[in-house]
Amino acid sequence: MTFEQLIFYLFSATLVAAAVNLVTVRNPVYAALSLILCFFTSSALWLLLEAEFLGIVLVLVYVGAVMVLFLFVIMMLDLNLDLLKEGFTRYLPIGLLVAVVVAVEMILVVNSGQFQAPYPAAPAPVNNTEALGSLLYTEYVYPFEIAAVILVVAIIAAIVLTLRRRPDARKQDISQQVQVRRADRVRLVKMKSERSE
Amino acid sequence: MIPLSHFLIIAAVLFSISVAGMFLNRKNMLVLLMCIELMLLSVNMNFVAFSYYLGDMAGQVFVFFILTVAAAEAAIGLAILVTLFRNRRTINVQELDAMKG
Amino acid sequence: MPEIFLLSTICLILLIDLFLRDNSRMITYLLTQVAVLATALLAYGAMDGDKITGLYGMYVRDDLAGVLKITILLLTFGVFVYARKYLKDKNIWHGEFYLLGLFAVLGMLVMASANNLLVVYLGLELQALSMYALVAFNRDDGRSTEAAMKYFVLGAVASGLLLYGISILYGLSGRLEIAGVLEYIKSQNVLQNMPLLFSLVFIVAGISFKFGAVPFHMWVPDVYQGAPTAVTMFLGSVPKVAALAMLLRVLAESMGAAQAGWGQLLLVFGLLSVFLGNLVAIAQLSLKRMLAYSTIAHMGFILLGALTGTKDGYSAALFYTITYTMMSAGAFAILILLSRDGFEAESLDDLKGLNERNPWYAFIMMLFLFSMAGIPPTVGFYAKLSIIQSVMHAGYLWPAVFMVVMSVIGAFYYLRAIKMMYFDAPPENVGAVNAELDFNVLISINGILMVLLGIFPSALMSICYLAMNSSL
Repeated sequence: MTFEQLIFYLFSATLVAAAVNLVTVRNPVYAALSLILCFFTSSALWLLLEAEFLGIVLVLVYVGAVMVLFLFVIMMLDLNLDLLKEGFTRYLPIGLLVAVVVAVEMILVVNSGQFQAPYPAAPAPVNNTEALGSLLYTEYVYPFEIAAVILVVAIIAAIVLTLRRRPDARKQDISQQVQVRRADRVRLVKMKSERSE
Repeated sequence: MIPLSHFLIIAAVLFSISVAGMFLNRKNMLVLLMCIELMLLSVNMNFVAFSYYLGDMAGQVFVFFILTVAAAEAAIGLAILVTLFRNRRTINVQELDAMKG
Repeated sequence: MPEIFLLSTICLILLIDLFLRDNSRMITYLLTQVAVLATALLAYGAMDGDKITGLYGMYVRDDLAGVLKITILLLTFGVFVYARKYLKDKNIWHGEFYLLGLFAVLGMLVMASANNLLVVYLGLELQALSMYALVAFNRDDGRSTEAAMKYFVLGAVASGLLLYGISILYGLSGRLEIAGVLEYIKSQNVLQNMPLLFSLVFIVAGISFKFGAVPFHMWVPDVYQGAPTAVTMFLGSVPKVAALAMLLRVLAESMGAAQAGWGQLLLVFGLLSVFLGNLVAIAQLSLKRMLAYSTIAHMGFILLGALTGTKDGYSAALFYTITYTMMSAGAFAILILLSRDGFEAESLDDLKGLNERNPWYAFIMMLFLFSMAGIPPTVGFYAKLSIIQSVMHAGYLWPAVFMVVMSVIGAFYYLRAIKMMYFDAPPENVGAVNAELDFNVLISINGILMVLLGIFPSALMSICYLAMNSSL
């Protein structure tokens, strides 16, 4: 067994185990942590496939941003864990059946040897990031722009759905404070002097 | 040397685990969203493997865009989830039955 | 390029809307409508019968893209006019409705002139993400957010399936551009190539989801019912054109040589949709759900038209899509008319006695329902006829007979709704219905077009045919 093979089998086994853990574990926090493990091991496998840039991006963007967002939401919502796993054993047989059927079919197909290149082509002469970058900003500039628009939509949609102006929130409005007149704040009242008994 | 089909098999196994996860976690919307992420990861694995063995960068570029879109998708999905929780106080899919017919 | 113009105006409107007060939201609306019409004009100007690709082969400009884009934009214009009344009545008159709507339209335009599977995917997601947010637009309404959640989860799974199919196709052919995939498929014996058929199954499943065809229809009734009616109207009309664009670009154009493979799948999905949609619609008490199931049945017709793999079939499907989306938008507009502040018209009973409350609206609604049922002289009849003809010419005799039978059965529930409008007494304490001038003018034109196109279908039909002929 070569070193590459060792790495491959080690990380693949971890990946599959983490994925199984993700779908069976009871607590969503543990599920999120297993998904993070999935991303780390996949990123290692991608390094093996000489996709260095994507491997790093997967860790930075997914583990660093998306999964933190997930964890943030889990902590924010007050979840009742007992209710969430009810009926889990009821669906276990059908879930297993579906998984096995889908997996067997897919493996039969992808293993059928119809794909053109069973062995890797010669590696590219430039480094991976440079090759990807030069493609993104030339040939793929149109999709690149569309992706930018998609991110804008995500920002707008998330704000539209969740931003609330709470009526009881206290905040400072500087311009209002500066423009305030004496008459708004102080009222002079004339009173007759009263004699204390 | 690791043959292409090994990577494809890993991707296929991930894909089927994510499909099974959607059946198992019908009640838990958060894990359902994570299963979707896992499904996209398996697709990405396919693309990266093909890209390497075909010696063609287009596959990696595709993965780059899938990652971007999936991040946007996760943001919107979680936003909808938070709004839903505010209205219903639950993320249990099976309690979502206001509409029938 | 109409897309660049639209994107720039969206950014402009986004900035302007930020500084507007709630009582001058009308400016956003007017700017939006001007942008939509100007983009349609640009798309019309770009139609010259040539097929030109640009931007490193990512973008294609041909007559098919032109026809699809103009349809999408004009429909959007109408939907936005109708939606204004609803949004104002319900106190959700925010600029974001129009902005997210415009982003969705941009995604559809991208799909209509995509020349690469990556661009198809990105356009699809741009449209879908905007749609998810729109469905949840009435965010304090539990049903609206619930519908959005269901739509989101199923939609994301469908994109996952589509992507898996594309990844296998990429592995087989090493290509992502439409012409490259076509070249590969032509060199293969499709029915012998297991991985190719396998990827076809995934791609067709993803596309069928976007149409809402059986067995990927689960989201349609819930989303139609839960979403605010203005969004349902948008969702039930414009994206169907984009779904057809995706079908034509991916299946017809790039995988045309594999028709033997995907034709079988579309046949099954289409027949199931026509069957289930028409039967389940009969049992519905909610008008929105009834229209949802009727949509499923209509989408079945479009899939069956497309499965023939002939130019006749494609142009019949395009004709059907254009006319169906017009009648669907119109029918939902009537629903909007019947809603008031704090009251959502969605049950069939709300139609009762519409003739007494306003005879003209009742007449227009009758035209829409006749057209959906396929009763001459409305355009729905001609659309169904041309689909059935092309299916028969392609040698599918039994499916054609089945379609005729199912449309006769389907006519029942449309006629029941018409009977309610004309012969039942209106519910108590409801007044007359009325709307502003622009709404009335547009809905009248929309209704009369149903008859005019039914009597003179040849102009639109020849446009559809020419577009197919010069592009595919």
